[in-house]
Amino acid sequence: MPQITSSRSEFITGVRAFTPMLMSIFPFGMVCGAAAVSAGLTPWQACAMSWIIFAGSAQIAATQLLASGAPLLVIIATAAVVNLRFMMYSASLAPHFRLIGKRWQAFLAYLLTDQAYALSIVHGLERGDNEENLHWFYFGLAGSTWVCWQLATITGVLLGSLVPASWSLDFIVPLTFIAMVVPLLSDRAMLIAAISAGLASILLVLPLKLNLIGAAMIGIAAGMVVEQRKKMA
Amino acid sequence: MSPSAIVDPDALLIWAMMIGIGVVTFLIRFVPIALLSRLRLSEWLKRALRFVPPAVMMAIIVPSLFFASSALTINPDLPRLMAAAFATLIAWKTRSTLLTVVLGMCALWGLQVFLR
Repeated sequence: MPQITSSRSEFITGVRAFTPMLMSIFPFGMVCGAAAVSAGLTPWQACAMSWIIFAGSAQIAATQLLASGAPLLVIIATAAVVNLRFMMYSASLAPHFRLIGKRWQAFLAYLLTDQAYALSIVHGLERGDNEENLHWFYFGLAGSTWVCWQLATITGVLLGSLVPASWSLDFIVPLTFIAMVVPLLSDRAMLIAAISAGLASILLVLPLKLNLIGAAMIGIAAGMVVEQRKKMA
Repeated sequence: MSPSAIVDPDALLIWAMMIGIGVVTFLIRFVPIALLSRLRLSEWLKRALRFVPPAVMMAIIVPSLFFASSALTINPDLPRLMAAAFATLIAWKTRSTLLTVVLGMCALWGLQVFLR
């Protein structure tokens, strides 16, 4: 049965594609676990957060807002904006997943991350003719990411409650984000979007802890304006 | 877990937050796949979504450098600011998360000793 061999080998290729990402995903997951505990979540809640939400940036944003006493709806709305990019990934993967059942689709959708999307699309382009097994590659990759994320969260929860605050380990959060943002700043529009959001986040004074979402919106708008001008020029 | 945790309003808020975000995030991830070709994202939205990651991350990073001890007034935390600038350089040169985090932490510890 070549079909099974082929899906299995695609799954294994997906798992292999994950391994180089271990070095970036594991520290980020640890940070999420440690940050959740230091914001006042119990170890169980901190671990539950990683399997209920399974999205690092949104988990960090939510943790920070929770610690600063933001209203529930503001926290949920902010996380929704942070995760809105998944909509683009999901729409882009939809044609590849059209032949599989709804439950499978729902399960694979839950596993969607930046890395799983980016690597799967590249793999799909490389394979071209063999794309009916792309969901197996995706499953191997995204499933490994999930397992790694949960283990990293547990590690972060355990270490986070042991390490004293004087070590300033909370600084790992901005450091991880710096490592993720810098490679994105490949063109002027992205750079302007990042700088505008950064400036807005310290200058903007909004009620109800809406600063994060407000600053992000300003950054997005600034990036779009720069891109539009470049097109017209 | 103690029995009082069940009625603890903080615990209720935390669970409501996690489940709320979980449901919204799942729908964002699932609806476009579920609707297949019936959903067409407008070009406008696609262009906007590209800027979400850098804008959001900067909106999370920058305040932590400028509002030391969560005060309302701008109060730059010099060691953190300088360590962040150094980490940006490392990230730009190496593109490595691990090096950025490790060297950034070392820079912070060093600066905290020297600038105190």
